[in-house]
Amino acid sequence: MDPSALAFLGAGLGAGLVALGAGLGIGKLAGPAMEATARQPEATGDIRTSMIIAAALIEGVALFGLVICIILATK
Amino acid sequence: MMVLAQIVLAQSLLEPDLGLIVWIGITFLAFLFVLKKFAWGPITEALTTREQNISDSLEQAEKALTEARQLQADNTKARREAEAQAQGVLREAREEAERIRTVEVDKTRSQIQQMQDTAQSEIEREKQSALNSLRQEVADLAISAAEKILRENLDADRQKKIVSDFLKDLPKN
Amino acid sequence: MIKRASIFVLLAQLTLLALPRGVAASSDDQEKFDALHHSANAYYLDIAPLDPIELPRIFIVRYEDGSYGLNLFRSTSSAILNGHYVSEIDAGHGGEVQGDDHEVEGDTHAETQGGITGEITGELIGEITTAQLEGHLVPPGGSHVVLDLSISRHLFFAWLAMGIVLLIMTRLAGMYKKGIGRETAPRGLFQNMFEGMVVFIRDDIVKPNLGDKTDKYLPYLLTAFFFILTANLLGLVPFGATATSNLMVTVVLASFTFVFTQLGGTKTYWMHIFWPPGIPTFVKPILMPVEVLGILTKPVALAIRLFANMTAGHLVILSLIGLIFSFTNIFGSGAGYGVAPVSVAFALFIYFLELLVSFIQAYVFTMLSALFIGMAIQEHEAHDDAHQEQQIEASASPEAEPVFAN
Repeated sequence: MDPSALAFLGAGLGAGLVALGAGLGIGKLAGPAMEATARQPEATGDIRTSMIIAAALIEGVALFGLVICIILATK
Repeated sequence: MMVLAQIVLAQSLLEPDLGLIVWIGITFLAFLFVLKKFAWGPITEALTTREQNISDSLEQAEKALTEARQLQADNTKARREAEAQAQGVLREAREEAERIRTVEVDKTRSQIQQMQDTAQSEIEREKQSALNSLRQEVADLAISAAEKILRENLDADRQKKIVSDFLKDLPKN
Repeated sequence: MIKRASIFVLLAQLTLLALPRGVAASSDDQEKFDALHHSANAYYLDIAPLDPIELPRIFIVRYEDGSYGLNLFRSTSSAILNGHYVSEIDAGHGGEVQGDDHEVEGDTHAETQGGITGEITGELIGEITTAQLEGHLVPPGGSHVVLDLSISRHLFFAWLAMGIVLLIMTRLAGMYKKGIGRETAPRGLFQNMFEGMVVFIRDDIVKPNLGDKTDKYLPYLLTAFFFILTANLLGLVPFGATATSNLMVTVVLASFTFVFTQLGGTKTYWMHIFWPPGIPTFVKPILMPVEVLGILTKPVALAIRLFANMTAGHLVILSLIGLIFSFTNIFGSGAGYGVAPVSVAFALFIYFLELLVSFIQAYVFTMLSALFIGMAIQEHEAHDDAHQEQQIEASASPEAEPVFAN
């Protein structure tokens, strides 16, 4: 087997894991945010803002992983 | 060929490109200064001015409203005062009238009293004088009767007849 | 509503029309499609059915004799034909390329390329190929490029974004200067829309983080927001490219935030980094590198986040389109036609998602920049209490701190 195949495989698996982690994180974030919105509809704006910020932070970490995957895939 | 293209692409995706950094750095800095001077300055200044205007206007309106309320309160107070004053005046006038009336009544009453008194005394005096004159009259009559009796000097029956005649001649009252 | 929807559909169709040349290219042997192709930087503007517009190449060169010079070319082909520059792809032989950096790269190329040196790669346009338009150029003789100041596609679109923002904002400022919106209410869609955005950034992003220092940093944050937003949206326009999907551009933006953060840092800020108060003395030297690392990870995260978000969206769209070609290659053209509607529908969905992400990323960049600057410039009150709490937090998880700081 071509050794670079392993790099491609690693990149693919990594991308999947990154998506898994990010999905879990954002899911954990969005659920309580929805609950909070339902409980306090008047605070919807504030909750949405902080949710987007937190989601962006999680996504940032996930995208670090994605960058590594891109590097691997193009090695 | 494929591998080669990928190498080139991966390079331009993640490879440091100093030229681009220099270009973007310089132009973004210039962009920032130009925008700051010609766009953000006037825009934020205008927004601040407008907000200031609005808040000033609101403040003024608030002040005007307070003033109007104050004025209204003053008016109400003045009206109440005027009313109270009028009431006072009315009451005073009524009291004065009452007083005057009382005084008048008293005066009239005393006058009446006085007149009554005068009338009483007049009556008394008249009565006295009438009595006096009656007494005089009676005395005179007695004297004249006595004189007649004396003059006649008759018997007792004659005397009695004379007296009863005399008494008959007297007026009935 | 219907009209708007049809405009979007039209836009999407145009985007598909403006697919990278790789789609049309090399139809001889096999349909080939590379998603990275489109996201990568290059030295031409791709206006698909027409020939690409080549961009000027500018090099600061150190000649063989040690003197420096500026080489200007109208286009890459002019550099190759008239300036005797050689594309790095063609100049695969390590021996010919000289200079510190390029020697190493040249060597690796020579190894990977093996026997294919000299073979024409990419689509032939006029006298050069697209591959030549994408790679670096190597000057002739023993001289080597010190600084490649060539106008690339991403640089062009970054400038275009700056130009658009400048045009919009100076027009907006002009309206205010005329008195519209200053004494009267703002008038018209244009002014209301942009005023709304400016006021949103000022009141909802900057003011809560920066307080009374708002006026000082507001110009930078507004500039960053509108530049990023415009650059993001330009990537969704047919024939456009996303300047913010280039790591260099985002690095420059993030380093602006970094510089503003450090310049604005108060005494308390620096003390918290180099000698965090309220912590046992022996922990302080351990914590100091962590804090220093924390300073650096913030802008790095900013840069990578923007870059990766903008790149990833385009990669996903192009990969979905690329599915058509993959299916055609593997299962024949029938499968290709079959999968095409699904691919296009998904690509359209991602396209709309990208539209949303363009706004969110501009917002997030501005928000986090304001947050970082705000953290550096704020004056601490009630020192002892705050530090007691910090002590507990810090001793609980000192390693976790840079992660949270991301």
